[in-house]
Amino acid sequence: MKKTIIAAFMITAMAAAAAGCGGSGGSSQKTAPAENGSGTASQNSGEASEAPASSGEDSYTIGIGQYAVHGSLDNCREGFLQGLAEEGIEEGKNLTVLYENANGDGSTGTQIISNFLSQDVDMVCAIATPMAQTAYGATKRTDVPVIYTAVTDPVIAQLATEDKMPVGNITGTSDKLPVEEQLQMIRQILPDAKTIGIMYSTGEVNSQSTLEEYKEAAPEYGFEIVESGVSGAADIPLAADNLLSQVDCLNNLTDNTVVSSLPIILDKSEDKGIPVFGSEIEQVRIGCLASMGLDYIELGKQTGHMAAQVLKGEKEASEMPYEIIEEASFYGNSAVAESLGITLPEELTGSAAQMFDSIGESNS
Amino acid sequence: MLELKHINKYYNHGTVNEMCLFEDFNLTIGDGEFVSVVGSNGSGKTSMLNIICGSIPVDSGQISIGGKDITRMPEYRRLRTIGRVYQNPAMGTCPNMTILENMSMADTKGKSFNLRPGTNKKRIDYYRESLKVLGLGLEDKLDVKVGVLSGGQRQAMALLMSTMTPIEFLILDEHTAALDPKTAETIMELTGKIVAEKKLTTIMVTHNLRYAADYGNRLLMMHQGKVILDKTGKRKEETQTEDLLALFNEISVECGN
Amino acid sequence: MSILLGILEEGLIYAILALGVYITYSILDFPDLSVDSTFPLGSAVTAALLTAGVPAPAALAAAFLGGVLAGTITGLIHVKLKVVDLLSGIIVMTGLYSINLQIAGGANLAFFGSSTIFENSLTDPLWSSPVGDFTVVIISLIAVVLVKILLDAYLKTRSGYLLRAAGDNDTLVTSLAKDKGTVKIIGLALANGLVALSGSIYCQKQGFFEISTGTGSMVIGLASVIIGTKLFKRISFIKTTTAVIIGSVLYKACIAAAMAVGIFPTHYMKFLTAALFLIILVVSNRSKRKGAA
Repeated sequence: MKKTIIAAFMITAMAAAAAGCGGSGGSSQKTAPAENGSGTASQNSGEASEAPASSGEDSYTIGIGQYAVHGSLDNCREGFLQGLAEEGIEEGKNLTVLYENANGDGSTGTQIISNFLSQDVDMVCAIATPMAQTAYGATKRTDVPVIYTAVTDPVIAQLATEDKMPVGNITGTSDKLPVEEQLQMIRQILPDAKTIGIMYSTGEVNSQSTLEEYKEAAPEYGFEIVESGVSGAADIPLAADNLLSQVDCLNNLTDNTVVSSLPIILDKSEDKGIPVFGSEIEQVRIGCLASMGLDYIELGKQTGHMAAQVLKGEKEASEMPYEIIEEASFYGNSAVAESLGITLPEELTGSAAQMFDSIGESNS
Repeated sequence: MLELKHINKYYNHGTVNEMCLFEDFNLTIGDGEFVSVVGSNGSGKTSMLNIICGSIPVDSGQISIGGKDITRMPEYRRLRTIGRVYQNPAMGTCPNMTILENMSMADTKGKSFNLRPGTNKKRIDYYRESLKVLGLGLEDKLDVKVGVLSGGQRQAMALLMSTMTPIEFLILDEHTAALDPKTAETIMELTGKIVAEKKLTTIMVTHNLRYAADYGNRLLMMHQGKVILDKTGKRKEETQTEDLLALFNEISVECGN
Repeated sequence: MSILLGILEEGLIYAILALGVYITYSILDFPDLSVDSTFPLGSAVTAALLTAGVPAPAALAAAFLGGVLAGTITGLIHVKLKVVDLLSGIIVMTGLYSINLQIAGGANLAFFGSSTIFENSLTDPLWSSPVGDFTVVIISLIAVVLVKILLDAYLKTRSGYLLRAAGDNDTLVTSLAKDKGTVKIIGLALANGLVALSGSIYCQKQGFFEISTGTGSMVIGLASVIIGTKLFKRISFIKTTTAVIIGSVLYKACIAAAMAVGIFPTHYMKFLTAALFLIILVVSNRSKRKGAA
């Protein structure tokens, strides 16, 4: 325990000595006052003076602002740090990470970003659309680059133009759902199904745009989409009952409100023997039948690579188009399939990124 | 002229707790009369004032002022021509506003409360003069919040404010009851002065039998929703406090209190 | 330095919201919960109009009027339909959520490209000047001071007197032959107009509308009013409206300090707000002489 503390102090001291910028040695949470990194350094002047070796190398401070607590957003952040590490920018070595979560509160989000800027971060990493927009607005007049991830449609969010080029010193990755692949997968698993129910929250912009895509693409695969908008978690049980009486299967988006109440929906659909398809791995783990989903860790890694390029000065964020993950991977839950009496086609399970053989507990 | 005709008022009408307050109650008050109203608790004195002002609705009957039926007129519109001073000195003034602001508001009564300056600077001297008449030193405290004044000072202001603009009726609802005897005396003298000066038609409800006997030119005693004594002019002047007290005891014994 | 700027920017913009809450909470004694939806209403109207190419000052005015309308509805529900004050606010707050989504056409609407009160041809020289960093602070300060002066002036008019009387002693309003219900409606309209105005300025600074930004506006406003009015109660030369503005900046400073110290993770923010709130109330209750807070 003592060793880790000393190590943390050393790192802080090194970072402060090397970059001269404020930053605390927190890992996922900040743990020390960070107004002035040199204060920490002077308390440990011994270590600081013994670490001149690193002063020649570049070290960085990144402020990660995440909009809400959410399984896939957490994975993004994890992947992001992994991606940076793969490029040689490792937390604890030459990277100081300040992490704050706005818990879905826009006003807190604004303060998080201005807090980062006051600590002279080298880059802001914004996770989810509102955070990315806040970061963009706040850094417009500064030279701090912003890298975002988990922004479903950067064009609609006005962070990029139609040709994927950034509107400013900001770029990142989109977590646009692989709608076509998902529909194709549902067709493969349920050859006779006609209607797909989609529940979404009217307060989440990404859900609405994804829903539109589903409605557009569904006829091609012979499906009809039945939608049900909810304004809050409290509406979900009734909406689920109503929707389940009209459809052959349910399909989830990455809607925060709906995903948080997934256990309720799964419980009700199980009673009726109606399969629920997920939009990412977490949902399959806790009881959705299958998903052609994004691997958010991968998405995060990809973002991390982009961030590394910007940090190292190889590229400017303003000249990098935003990226999406091209391939979707299959996730299936054989335990759910068994209880529903459905056989998952070999061609899907054969190429599965991950198969679950039990129903996990929801932890979100 | 104020007329109450065939007034019926029940509390909890239509329930087992129904309580009759007024049954076919009639009263006419002529212009320029100063009516003192006495009566035991629950006799309907304050309810009568509330009915006149429109604070409580009647079940049936008619209320008219100067021949005009006002039975269905909302309270705030009736109060256009009525000034009312309450028992609680806090009711007649705004505690968080200054004396000057309170006086200014009272002065604006009857006019439009628009975006013109709340205080008309030209009137300040007049306010100061009116306050000086009270003899309470308020004229030097124009910028003091009313909330820090004593009950008597506030009641004096309330009286002044409710009679500042031209009104037809002055309603005094036990307006000295919450004050100490000396202050009550001062306020009562002030009341007599203002009523005489402005020739206001006044209805004063009081528990103080001496005030009832000393002030006004008509005396009513109420009991269980009925007027049991009504003396005007000469007969009123002859009435002594002792006579009232005797009668009062009589009805009180009857009620058992 | 920039953290101070951030506090000032946020504090000043939210100060206009706080002035609105001051009207309902302190002057009218009406706990108006619709604020949580009228703040984003201002944002939604602004975002929709700016994307449609309407000039920023017009959007500002439209947002204000939108708030006035919402406040009037809260007032009408309370006065005419005789619904309890708290519930009237909740009803409008709930209903407006859908209206806001309708106005903005969704939960999020960005207008980074549009010219706003902060970014237009007139402010460009300011941005490139040595005090460029202060542009948002300067413009917000002008807005707040303007609102404060107008509000102070209004409270000194006949109508303003009546508004203050309605919260202080509504019997007197009736005695003055005025309908206290109408006065309440006017107060709510004005207050929510200011709240929506604040929402408009806030979203013009942000460059986008987001439905979730309204959550907790009421608490921010209330905290600012309470901090300001209780802290400066004894300092007589500071007007209450000024105290409320300072309160708003102090509130944002407290939150920023809590965040910067980093002892508490951000999900404790609401808890800290509640604690701060309680402490100020308890402390001020101890020293209170009389009357309802």
